Amino acid sequence: MIFPSMKLKLDLLPKYITYSCFIIVGRNDIPIYEAEVGSAAKREDAAQLHQFILHAALDVVQDLAWTTSAMFLKSVDRFNDLVVSVYVTAGHTRLMLLHDSRNEDGIKSFFQEVHELYIKILLNPLYLPGSRITSSHFDTKVRALARKYL
Amino acid sequence: MGREVAESCVDTMLMEMVAMYSGRFYANKPELAARRIEAIGYQVGHQLSERYTMERPRFSDHLEAIKFICKDFWSEVFKKQIDNLKTNHRGTFVLQDNKFRWLSRVSIDPSSENETEDPSTPGESKAAQAVSMYLYFPCGIIRGVLSNLGIPCAVSADISSLPTCSFVIRVKA
Repeated sequence: MIFPSMKLKLDLLPKYITYSCFIIVGRNDIPIYEAEVGSAAKREDAAQLHQFILHAALDVVQDLAWTTSAMFLKSVDRFNDLVVSVYVTAGHTRLMLLHDSRNEDGIKSFFQEVHELYIKILLNPLYLPGSRITSSHFDTKVRALARKYL
Repeated sequence: MGREVAESCVDTMLMEMVAMYSGRFYANKPELAARRIEAIGYQVGHQLSERYTMERPRFSDHLEAIKFICKDFWSEVFKKQIDNLKTNHRGTFVLQDNKFRWLSRVSIDPSSENETEDPSTPGESKAAQAVSMYLYFPCGIIRGVLSNLGIPCAVSADISSLPTCSFVIRVKA
C-alpha cells in the first residue's frame, strides 16, 4: 500500500539519481581521465569494480570499433544492471561511460560535448598527448555536463 | 574554436620560424633544424587532425584517410584541394599541389645565380636547399595527421618544379 506521504518523498528525489563512471582511454590503452558522477551512495570497492568493468570492456570496444565508421558505439557491454557505452574518436581515443540509465540521446550529447572539451585540451601546446588530463577546469566542466545530460 | 587569422600572419610566422631555427638555434646544422621544424609540424598535425575529424565519421582504411587529407584537410588549411593524387597501391602516395600556398611568395635570389660561373646546378642546389627548409613544416603536419589516424608513415617533399610541390607519403608497413 502506497501512503500519500511516500509519494511526496518520491517526487522530491533529485533527477540524477543514476550513477555513472566516466573514463577517457588514450591510444595506448592507458586511462587519461576518470570521473565518477551521480549522487547514489557508493562503497569504496564499488569504485574499483567499476574501473575493472570498464577495462574489461576495452577488448569488446577494440573489436567493435573496426566494424563501423560511426563514432558513437552505443552500449557495448553489460554487467548486472550496469551498461557500458563508448564513443570513439578518429584518433582512437575512447570515451567510456558506465551507467545504469537508458537515456541514449542524452549520453550521445554528453559524449559530443566532452569530445569538444577534449579537443580544446589537445590544442594546448603544453599538453603531451597521451598523458593524464589534470586541468581542474576540464574536470568541472565534465561534471557539469554529466549533471546536465545524464 | 573557429576564429580567423590573417594569412600574412601565418606566412610571417612560418618565415620567422625557418629563419630562427636555421639561422639562430641550429645555425650550422641544417639537419637538426629541419628535424625540429618537422617535430613542430608533427604536433600541429596531431592537433589539427583531431579538430577536423570531429564532425565526420571515422575512416575505414588508409585510402580514405589520404583522401581526407587531399580534400577536407587541405581545403581547411590551404583553401584548396590537392590537384593530383597518385598511388602505387603498395603504401606509397604522391600528393601534388600545383600552386603550394606557402611557397607562392618565395622568390629565388637572382644575385646568387649570377655569382656562380658553373652551370646552374650549384646555384640551383643552394636555392633548392633554402626552399626545402620551408617544406619540413608541412611534411611534419601531414605526418602528424596520419599518425594520429593510426597510419605511421614518412613524408618527404619534392620541389623539382616550382610552384608545383609534391609530397611523397610512404606508409610504414
